[in-house]
Amino acid sequence: MLEIDGLHRGFGTGSSRVEVLKGINLEIKKGELVALMGPSGCGKSTLLNIIGGLLSAEKGNIKLENRNYGLKGPSSVVDVRRHKVGWIFQDFHLLEHLSAIDNVAMALEISGMSGPEAEKKAERALIRVGLEDRMGHLPEQLSGGQQQRVAIARAIAGERPLLLADEPTGNLDISTGKDVLKIFKDLCHSKENPISILMVTHDPELASKADRMLLLRDGKTATSDIRSAWGTLDGDEE
Amino acid sequence: MTEPKLFERIKLKIRDLPSNFRIASLGAWRGRERGLAVIAGVFLASLVITTVLAYGVGLSQLFLAESLETEPFDAKIEFKKAPSYGTEGWTNNTTTLMQTCDELTLKVEITDCTVILGRQGIHGNGFFNEDFVVAQPLEMREITSATNELWENVSFDYPELENAGPPISSMRGIRLLGPEAFDGELANRLGERIIFGLGNWSSADIVENKSGVFLPSNIASEAQAKVGDKLDKLTFAYVVDRKAGGGFEDSSEWDCEGTIDVGNNGYAYCRINMTLTDLEILGIYEPWPFGNPTLSPNPIFTTWTALNEIDRARLIDNDHMYLGVTIDRALLPTSSTDAASEWVEDLGVEIESVSYTSENIELFYFDIIGGTITFLEIFLGLVQAFDYIIMIPIVILSLSVLIYGLVLSLEQRRREIAIHRVIGATSKGLQSMVLLELAVMSTFAWIAGYVLAIAVVPLVLSSVGFMAFESLDNVEVNPVLGLGSTIITAFATLGLALLFGRSRSKEFIELEIEEGVKKVREVNKPKRWLHWLMFIIGAIAAIDTWLEMNGSENGLNSNWFIEGLLGLFGPFLLWIGGALLLGRIGAKGPRIMQLFLGKTPLLKDVKRGLKGSGSTESINRLSVIMLLTLSIVTLAAVQGYTGTLVDEYTASATVGSDLQITTEQPTNISEVQNILNDVYGNELSITATTITSIALETEDGDSFQTWVLLNGTRDILDWTEQSIPGADIDSALESYEGLTFSAGESAAYILDIWGSGRKGGDDRGDELLVNGDSRSENLTFTWTDVNFDISGLDLEIQNETAPELGFEQLIFLLESYRASLEVDLSNLNLQNADLSNRDLTGVDFSGTNLSGANLSNSTFTNSLFSDTNLNNVNFSGSNLSNTLIFNSFGVNFITNSDFSGADLEGSIGLFNLSLSNLDNAKCPNGIVTNTSSCDGFLLEPTVENLPSSMAELLFDNDNFNIEIQSTEYNLSLRYIGVHEFLPGIPTSTMSDTLVIGETSWRALVGEDTADNFSTNTWIIKINEIQGDELEGFRANLDADSRISSAMDWSSKHSEVERSGGLIFGTQGLLSLQFVVASIAAVASAFVFLSLVLNQRKKELAVLQAIGASPNQIIRLVLFEILSIVVVSMFLGILLGMALALSFNGLFSVFGFIFGIFGGSETIIDRNLVWPWFELTIVSLTVFVAVVVALLSTTRKALKSDLSTVLKGE
Repeated sequence: MLEIDGLHRGFGTGSSRVEVLKGINLEIKKGELVALMGPSGCGKSTLLNIIGGLLSAEKGNIKLENRNYGLKGPSSVVDVRRHKVGWIFQDFHLLEHLSAIDNVAMALEISGMSGPEAEKKAERALIRVGLEDRMGHLPEQLSGGQQQRVAIARAIAGERPLLLADEPTGNLDISTGKDVLKIFKDLCHSKENPISILMVTHDPELASKADRMLLLRDGKTATSDIRSAWGTLDGDEE
Repeated sequence: MTEPKLFERIKLKIRDLPSNFRIASLGAWRGRERGLAVIAGVFLASLVITTVLAYGVGLSQLFLAESLETEPFDAKIEFKKAPSYGTEGWTNNTTTLMQTCDELTLKVEITDCTVILGRQGIHGNGFFNEDFVVAQPLEMREITSATNELWENVSFDYPELENAGPPISSMRGIRLLGPEAFDGELANRLGERIIFGLGNWSSADIVENKSGVFLPSNIASEAQAKVGDKLDKLTFAYVVDRKAGGGFEDSSEWDCEGTIDVGNNGYAYCRINMTLTDLEILGIYEPWPFGNPTLSPNPIFTTWTALNEIDRARLIDNDHMYLGVTIDRALLPTSSTDAASEWVEDLGVEIESVSYTSENIELFYFDIIGGTITFLEIFLGLVQAFDYIIMIPIVILSLSVLIYGLVLSLEQRRREIAIHRVIGATSKGLQSMVLLELAVMSTFAWIAGYVLAIAVVPLVLSSVGFMAFESLDNVEVNPVLGLGSTIITAFATLGLALLFGRSRSKEFIELEIEEGVKKVREVNKPKRWLHWLMFIIGAIAAIDTWLEMNGSENGLNSNWFIEGLLGLFGPFLLWIGGALLLGRIGAKGPRIMQLFLGKTPLLKDVKRGLKGSGSTESINRLSVIMLLTLSIVTLAAVQGYTGTLVDEYTASATVGSDLQITTEQPTNISEVQNILNDVYGNELSITATTITSIALETEDGDSFQTWVLLNGTRDILDWTEQSIPGADIDSALESYEGLTFSAGESAAYILDIWGSGRKGGDDRGDELLVNGDSRSENLTFTWTDVNFDISGLDLEIQNETAPELGFEQLIFLLESYRASLEVDLSNLNLQNADLSNRDLTGVDFSGTNLSGANLSNSTFTNSLFSDTNLNNVNFSGSNLSNTLIFNSFGVNFITNSDFSGADLEGSIGLFNLSLSNLDNAKCPNGIVTNTSSCDGFLLEPTVENLPSSMAELLFDNDNFNIEIQSTEYNLSLRYIGVHEFLPGIPTSTMSDTLVIGETSWRALVGEDTADNFSTNTWIIKINEIQGDELEGFRANLDADSRISSAMDWSSKHSEVERSGGLIFGTQGLLSLQFVVASIAAVASAFVFLSLVLNQRKKELAVLQAIGASPNQIIRLVLFEILSIVVVSMFLGILLGMALALSFNGLFSVFGFIFGIFGGSETIIDRNLVWPWFELTIVSLTVFVAVVVALLSTTRKALKSDLSTVLKGE
């Protein structure tokens, strides 16, 4: 479903130039939860940003479902952000002055959906993440975990095939983090319409629960098998 | 702390200062975006506060300069003691005196000096000491010219002097000037008033060679003298001796070689004539207004080089010498009038303390400027108080921009400070880092504002109307602030910024680190109740003013104290409270605008993003700032335009049109045209009208002065809708063309018709009553045509070719009688003059305007009042026995005068006293009345009744008789409403009068009389000449012998604007307010938007991340911000309108006070004018600025690296 081919990206010019991504190749299948790990500054976020259409690569190609992109700037890939990828950030990035349901519906409306339909879908998405009793609350009235669940609802409501999560549990305590992960797993392994998730994390515990783990080192994906990376077979879905 | 430690710290600080300063400057430069708000705030506050203070300085300079224009000499320097042979310290050698002058001009304060032969030395200080009135000027006696016989009739009496100060002399003076008066500063000041085209203030050589003379225009006009005319002889008189007390008229008791006369000051003088020969008129000047009485006003100027040294010495020996000096007025301290007086005093002491030349001349300094300054002190204080008050809003505005700017910019430092603390910076270090950066930015802004303000003040002072400026010719304004004031501006701007920055940064430092790092921060709840309270009190004040402007007696309350408080503070409370409350509505602009645009494709997909917007503090502030600025823009524009129009209307109401002239002889329109063409020297295209008056009597016997409005005045007179009934000039004038009349408010009251408010609030209003209106009614008026039939006059004795019997005989008779009277006060303008307690026996007042004069307790026995204006005269207690009172216009020409206690026994003539107060008066028939029972009194003059002096003229002809044939004409006129005034007619009595149109007038007086009508006063519209040229033309007319007086719109307007105007310089300040507030609106929109959008960068990035396109973002942001701005601007203009309304109360109060002090009042109401065009322009400019700011900042936000923004910093 997601195929990345020879992706290059560096920052700066001349002697201060740093090559961050030096030819990334990877593939994610439908319904797969993939954890992306690596030391700080290795380019995890850069890779995620390029896939999510917030940053352009210098070389290479991304194929998401039938859409090919990667080299063009953010304004040229609005459609990717609207229909293909959903974003989940470490500090949630909800719109402060909008209620939970408005936050979700807003994302649908700017993608061209009519108001009532957007609200219906937003409601469904919020129920899906377990926030049926918090729909009218403003972000500041919600706990961190609840806010992140609103963010997840916002990302999935548009039925986008791929979710990009940048340290989704970084600002959450352990048990809340686990809850989020459980939602991720449910989404990936749902029978009806499974989606794929690419998640950047520093937390080995969390990464270990993913279907697969990628390690980014020296600008390349070093391994793509979570079990070989951690030497464990714990694939429990708890 | 101990001393060495402190010392160490200071040393350390000084050592580190350069590098700290460099770092701070760098920081300021890097943080320039957030610094912009601080810079804008400090700059604005510095500009405004400096302007207000410098304006005060400039105003007092200007005021001083304008007041000093009434006298070209700044001081009169005399010998210390009156010259007498055998004493030291003086000389009669003009060369030595000129050297003395040279020594004096070495002083930096003294710019010019000349030896003058003129008024005697005073040798003592003050206007009120006796010495001041004793010293005599050189009095003019006569001028003769072989080529101009008119000079023989020219009188050098100067009766106006009686009202112009202490009784020094009643004759016109002459000043013999030294050569220095014809170059340099003195020549500038003296030559300034030479009328354009009528010669010039020539050089010393020319004046000496030609023995040049400069005449005041009224003297030249009387003699019909022209520049270049030769004068054979000019005689003046100097004083050789004086004695106190009376009884010296007989020269045998006094060894006086000349003539003896007794002055009003109680001294008898022995004067000797001195004659100059072969002189030439070199220039004619426009008289100065009466000012300081030290030097005799408007003299004949000539040069003492026309005298030989012996004659000069003779004048000097008799103390007729002084040194006329000018001082450098720019050196006069203007910080306060106290300082100025002190400075002048010091200069005097300095000059008196030494002796001059080898002859050791000792001098006495008589200060002329000082008296002017004393008066200024009071008046200027009031003007400045008012000016400061009206500048309060803009000062508050600039300070609030400053504080808002500081809040926004320091808010961004909060996290930075917390982070610095995490990495171990000390509190003190942090604070000084923030403060130094702040200091660098605000010092820069303060200096910029200060410098600009100083540059701008002369412009503000030169305003002649709202946003209209004229260069300040011949007045030098150089407003420089003293050290104290400069410190005040620095403290109010720089100091405030630093204090505020200090407390804020301290607050940040005291915060818990964690709280500091947080991105959002709890804000204290604003005190809404306080805002409401301010708003409600302000609204009450505004409603109160509105009610009172619209006819309510007391408005909402009648207590004067509360009224005063409301009037003073109400506007400000309304403004601040209103802005804070309306700011919340303004911040909800997006929701309001969604009601209109919510369903359109413009918002369809982004509408949801607007929910809950406007709740943030910064949006609220943006709205409040827009409200504050736009409301001030509106206030300034409305009040500025209103004030300008009030001044213009006042000038128009006084003059009537471009020009108003009074001719010596009754003239008709073509004669007026000829005179104007003559004076102009070219064909002028003019239209002219006159407003004559007749007396109308009602069936009830009430009599009214009635003005006649001729047809076709629409384009000649400067009409305003305030003057006529109703608001439409055209339909009102059309109504006057029928058989109609309008009444002033008092007249309506007496007639008991609608319009006076006699029957309550509905009984008045500014409405034109149409035919059939129930409030309109028909009244019948009577006009009495009076003819005189004189028989039995021994014509042969008088004139063999005397005309036939009739009205003209009477005039002829009166002329004969006039000639027999000794004192001639005919054809003078003695309006409002004080002639009380005088002996005016046998005086000829023919054609003189005595309206408003105080003639109480004077004696007028045998005097003649023929065609004399006797309205509003105070005759109380005066003796009017055996006077002759006639008027060619009818019988009802004495209105509103006070005859209480007067003795009119034996007075004859044709007059009606019933329009005046007659308490306790003795009627002409000898009966004392305590009511108005001389009612309808008409005494028929018979030969027995004539005063003996008049009877003598008629010799022994017992058959002499004058019969009066009076015919009454009735006419029914329809009432069309209440008038306020007519352009060109003095407004003070308009309330008691009626106005009719030409048709009604012709129906009454007959076509013949109307067709052959001629009059003295003409109101003229001239299209070709305007402004300065018109003023020059008027001066030329004034100097023409056929014209007795002239006024022009342009001079009148300047007078109203600059000195007599409602409030001196207000228009300039309001213009400044308008400009500064407009700039503040545009600039703060720009600055605040950048800051607001900067804070929302992240939100925009999130929106993009979840799929919003740049187009959607721009639509969302534009709509949200623009609707806040638009709604706030709209509310701001509304608030400004309410503010202008409630400020009107304040303006009225001050207008009243200034009316009392300045002696000028205006009948024009301060009806607010709404300058929509200017407001639209400003609003559009703000709107465009906001759109530009929005597009540029949004584009910047869209171009920024989304991944970086979303990641955090």
